[in-house]
Amino acid sequence: MNGLDPALKPRLKRRSTFEYVSWVVCILVGIGVLSSVATNPNFKWDVVAKYFTHESILRGLMLTIFLTVASMALGTLLGLGLAIMRASSIKPIATLAGVYITIFRGTPVLVQLIFWFNLSALYPNLSIGIPFTDIGTAIDTNALMGPITAALIGLTLNEAAYMAEIIRGGFSSVGKGQIEAADSLGMSGAMKMRKVIIPQAMPSIIPATGNQVIGMFKGTSLVSVLGVAELLQSAQLIYARTYETIPLLIVASLWYLVMTMLLSYPQSKLEQKYSHTSARVPRKARKVTLTAPEGIAR
Amino acid sequence: MNADGTINAQKIRKSFGPKTVLKDVDLDIASGEICCIIGPSGSGKSTLLRCINGLETVDSGILKVNGEDFGYYETDTAYHALPPKKLALQRTRVGMVFQSFNLFPNMTARENVMAGPVLVKHADKKQSTKQAQELLTSVGLGAFGDRYPAELSGGQQQRVAIARSLAMNPDIILFDEPTSALDPEKVGEVLAVMQDLAKKGMTMVVVTHEMGFAREVADSLIFMDDGNVVERGDAREILTNPKEPRTQAFLKQVL
Repeated sequence: MNGLDPALKPRLKRRSTFEYVSWVVCILVGIGVLSSVATNPNFKWDVVAKYFTHESILRGLMLTIFLTVASMALGTLLGLGLAIMRASSIKPIATLAGVYITIFRGTPVLVQLIFWFNLSALYPNLSIGIPFTDIGTAIDTNALMGPITAALIGLTLNEAAYMAEIIRGGFSSVGKGQIEAADSLGMSGAMKMRKVIIPQAMPSIIPATGNQVIGMFKGTSLVSVLGVAELLQSAQLIYARTYETIPLLIVASLWYLVMTMLLSYPQSKLEQKYSHTSARVPRKARKVTLTAPEGIAR
Repeated sequence: MNADGTINAQKIRKSFGPKTVLKDVDLDIASGEICCIIGPSGSGKSTLLRCINGLETVDSGILKVNGEDFGYYETDTAYHALPPKKLALQRTRVGMVFQSFNLFPNMTARENVMAGPVLVKHADKKQSTKQAQELLTSVGLGAFGDRYPAELSGGQQQRVAIARSLAMNPDIILFDEPTSALDPEKVGEVLAVMQDLAKKGMTMVVVTHEMGFAREVADSLIFMDDGNVVERGDAREILTNPKEPRTQAFLKQVL
C-alpha cells in the first residue's frame, strides 16, 4: 500500500446503505409535505399571519399561560403535601392521600372540569362556619364558581394527583442509607425532608414535572368547554364569525408549539442546578492535590 | 457515676419476621474502649451495632447507652418508645459510620460535616465552618471542603463521613464495616484516621473484617455467630489464642 503512514491514517465510521437511503427518503418526503402546505391555498397563510398577533389571540394566550402557571404551582404544592401524606407512617393519613389520588387520576379531567363548573347542582349554597352552630356565612355557589375559578380548581386538583405520584416516585429514588445517615445525626422528620430527601429527589422529579407543564399547557385547551376565553377558545370565537377554521387552528397550534419549545430551556437549567457536582465551584478551589495520610499495616 | 461513652446491654433480642437475629446478647463497653466485633456474615453483628443508635429497635432486653435506656423509657410494666425529639437527642450522642459512607450527595464535603451541628444543633454557622475545616484537616482532607461526594474517592468519602459524625461531638462512634466497600489501596487511609481517633479516647465499636486493625488498635474483641456472642475478651488474646471451636474455625478461614 502506498500513501500515508498506516499509523497516521484516520479510521472512518461505517455508513450503511440504509443510512443513505433514509436521507434520500427523508428529504423527498420533506419537500413533498412542505410544497403541498405552502402551495395549497386552503391553508390561507395570509390569514394565519394576520391573526397570529391579533389582540384577542394574545389575550387568550395570556390566559392560557396564567392558567398553566397558576394550576401547575398550586397543583405542585398540593401534590407535595399529598406525597408527604402518602409516605406517612400514620395509616389514615396515607390512605386519605391514596384515595384522593385514585379518584382524581381515575376520572377524565374534562369531566372534573364540568363537574366543578356545575357544583351548584349539588350544593346551591356554600357556607363557612363552625359545624352545628349558627356562626358562619353562606354564599351562592354560582356566584363563586365562575368559569375561570372552576377551571383553576379543576386543573389544580387533577394536577395535584399526578404531581403527588411523581414526587412520591422521587422520594423512593432516595436511598435508604441517606435516610439512615440523617437519622443517625438526629435530624427531625421535616429537616430530613427539606435537606436530604427533597434535594435528592429533584433530579428525578424535574424531567417528569417538565412533561407535566407541557401537558398542562396544552391541557388548558379543555377549559374552552367552560367558555373560558383561553387560546383555543379565542381562536374558536374568531372562526365562528369568519369561518376561517383551519387558519385559526394553525394560529393556536403555532402558539402552543412555540411555548412548549421555550419551556424546555428552563427545564434543562433546573436539571443542571441539581446535578450535584462542583461545576459551580470556582476552579481554584478544586485544583489542589493532597497526599493521603500514611496507612497503617494490615 | 459518669456513664458517658458506655454501652450496656443485657439479653437483647431482635427478630426479623421468623428469623431471630440477636439471641439474648450481652454487651458491656466502657468509656474510651475500642471494641471490634467480628464474625461471619449473617451473624447479627451489624444488627447489634444498628440497635445501639436506633436504626433498629430491640424486641426485648435492656439497652443502656451513655447510661440511659436507649430509645425507650421504663415504667413498672413496660418500656415505652421515646417521642421522636428525645430519640433524636440520644442519637446525636452516638455517631455512625456506614459501610457505604452515605454522605449527602447534594452537599459539599464541608456542608456534610456541618450538617449535624448547623441543622440539628442549630450551632453558629461561622463557628461550625471553622470546626468543619479543622475536622476535615484532621482526616487529611483540609483542601477538599468544596468538593461534592461524587468527586471524591471512596477512601476520601469515608474520611469525610468520619468527620461528619465527629462534628456532633458524640460520646460513642459506631463503625459498620467502614472499609468493606473500599478499594484495597484505600483501606489504610481510613484505618489510619480511626486509629488516630482511638488514641484520643473515643469509645468506638467497630464491626470489621480487618483483623490487622483489631489486633493493633482494639482493646476488646467480640466474636459473634448465629445471633450469639460466642467469645469475648482481650483482642490480641482471642486473635492469637481463641478458646471456642467456632472462633478457631472462623479465624482459620480469615487469617
